[in-house]
Amino acid sequence: MSSSTDLAVRERAAAPRRPRAAGARATHRWRFVPWLMLLPGLAVVITFIVLPFGNTLRLAFTDATLLRPGRWVGLENFERLLGDDRFLTALLNSSLYVVCVVPFMMLLPLVLATLVSRPGRLMGFFRTSIYMPVVMSSVVVGLIWTSMLDRRGLVNETLATFGAIAEPVPFLTDRWLLLFSAMFVTVWMGLGYYMVIYLAALANIDGTLYDAAAMDGAGVVRTFLSVTMPGVRSTMALIGVLSSVAAFRVFGEVYVLTGGTGGVGGRNLTMTMLIQREGTGLQAQTGYAGAISLVMFVVLGALLVVQLWLQQREGRTR
Amino acid sequence: MTKHLRAPRRRALGAVATIAAGALVLAACGGSDDAADSGGGSGDGLSGEITFQTWNLKNDKFTPYFEGLIADYEDANPGTSIRWVDQPAEGYQDKLSADAAAGSLPDVVDMGPEAAYTLAQAGVLLDVAEADPGAEDLYLDKAWESMTFEGLGGGTYGYPWYLNTGPSFFNTAIFAECGLDTEALPETYDELFDAAEALAEACPDKSMLARMPAIENFGEYGVPLMDDDATEFTYDDATGVEFVERFRDLYQSQGLTEEALNNLQTAEVEEFKAGNLAYLPGSSYTLGDLRDTAPDIYENLGIGPRISNAAPNMYIESLVVNATTSNPDLANDFAQFVTNAENQMAFAKAANVFPSSAGSLDDPWFTEEDGEQETQVRVESANQVREAVVWWPPAFSSSTDANTLREQIAQAILGDKSVEDALQSSVEYSNERLAASR
Repeated sequence: MSSSTDLAVRERAAAPRRPRAAGARATHRWRFVPWLMLLPGLAVVITFIVLPFGNTLRLAFTDATLLRPGRWVGLENFERLLGDDRFLTALLNSSLYVVCVVPFMMLLPLVLATLVSRPGRLMGFFRTSIYMPVVMSSVVVGLIWTSMLDRRGLVNETLATFGAIAEPVPFLTDRWLLLFSAMFVTVWMGLGYYMVIYLAALANIDGTLYDAAAMDGAGVVRTFLSVTMPGVRSTMALIGVLSSVAAFRVFGEVYVLTGGTGGVGGRNLTMTMLIQREGTGLQAQTGYAGAISLVMFVVLGALLVVQLWLQQREGRTR
Repeated sequence: MTKHLRAPRRRALGAVATIAAGALVLAACGGSDDAADSGGGSGDGLSGEITFQTWNLKNDKFTPYFEGLIADYEDANPGTSIRWVDQPAEGYQDKLSADAAAGSLPDVVDMGPEAAYTLAQAGVLLDVAEADPGAEDLYLDKAWESMTFEGLGGGTYGYPWYLNTGPSFFNTAIFAECGLDTEALPETYDELFDAAEALAEACPDKSMLARMPAIENFGEYGVPLMDDDATEFTYDDATGVEFVERFRDLYQSQGLTEEALNNLQTAEVEEFKAGNLAYLPGSSYTLGDLRDTAPDIYENLGIGPRISNAAPNMYIESLVVNATTSNPDLANDFAQFVTNAENQMAFAKAANVFPSSAGSLDDPWFTEEDGEQETQVRVESANQVREAVVWWPPAFSSSTDANTLREQIAQAILGDKSVEDALQSSVEYSNERLAASR
């Protein structure tokens, strides 16, 4: 062994081993800290999301009832779904809800946010007023609108007073009028929530862009289309996703407006109402309700994938 | 089954309850001595604690009755303890299902035949006929039969408790205004439909009916609801079709509004109270409710027997015993005690309902009139109970089967499908559910 090697060995031997080992142990110990901090959240997610989802998935392929675990029936529940008129009605109504409500939810709050984004007391009053329905329960809102849209409600009475109608408008009994009334209530309730999100996004748009647009002689509409909308494009995409999910899962508004029945002849049932009807109560058919839930999950998943794909494609083409 | 003792309805007790209070106290004080003869409360060597579940009965009106009842039982059976639990009746099926699924169903529970059927099917309830073969003689035959489920092998899964039925109420002011005879109120469905059509012609802004027929109405019309084995629904036969066609014809002649196709019972009551409806099928609570909340209508009230072509309908509430209770002897004995003749009589007087115990309807309370309208309604309703049938099949779900039936009838009335197809769809749906639950 050369003298230099001896020196190196001696240096290594003389090196302060204790602190290094303690450091390693400390590192080892701290490595678990992030997991420990994650644990409460993880426990909640596993208990209330992952396990119920797994259970729903299992139930969908069984003939389980509330009081019986059930046996494996393969795709039987899904075959039954295809022959169930109520399911097809519910799927149509929930899908229509997405198609009709989402565009309004993406555009109207943006217009409102643009109008009330300026400072001032009056603007503050409008912002608060528009946000007010958000803090109300959908059941309360539904009840208010039920009494307004009733055959003898405020809307019909007002229209009759001004001679606009000879017979009451069947807002709550006609299939399509009821569905559109519920959509109107949903939009009315959601405007404030999405408006607040847009207000935050508008604050991030560079003010000089508006100055430049003004110098170029752009009017209000041109500025809105060329500066505001591109500036909140990613927020619009987010709101599109959020409102699509919410619209497909609509329950409270339709439930209350139909008096909890699903409308005349059950023609206003939505997916969540059908799940509630089949999956609750002593005679609940949890297997069948699980199958409807799974279909709903797949439809929503597909909806989100399509939206994300469209956004990515748009991002690439810009 | 609809819960019958919810707060709004209890307002209907009024003077009847006041008079009954004295009798109730007397009954509660002296209840246990004769209990041995009339069922329950006589178990030698009973001990331990059980839980007794009721719905919406712990309040100023009923708490003294139940506390006295429990004290009597515990005094007569030293070493026993009854823990009384009461919950709001809203969503009681969901609460029961949660308890049953968790294996924590109370030892003795107040419930209707529909809930009892489902729990019995799951093996959660005691067959009381098997546990006590002599019990059957202590109750009215029809009450006992309504808790005997042919579809589950003929076992009896609950002691019959109280019954409820009521007369038909008519707004005679509407009858007079629209040219109908106030002295000849309808008593059968044919007479009712004829009157409804005449009313529609004379007064288009008023209606006779404001709700689709429910399954018990099919029974009252004379439609066979299930086969003899209670394994299949059969209400789509020619008589069922004829019944729905009368509703369709009435709708076409403007005698039914579109709202009526979707209305539940509460809307029907509201329409009657608002003076838009000429007929309301009532319960024993309805008269007091109308007197308190719709005095104008009360002044012009015509009262007749319940509309039926066959036997009139009644509802029943029972006490079931948990099959997995750790103290079956005590639970069974206590359930019999609560439903024995003496205690049922006291409760019937307090709650303005009818006892299911054998012989109780012969009490002067149910046979002698005193000129008061309340007494007249009670006596006539008691007569009706003697003929009445619990038409609602226990296997018919009030949440899904009932909704489907109403929806299918509405579609037929709107012309979306034929009446035959609508009833067939409803029957197929119910039979599918019935088969799947086996």
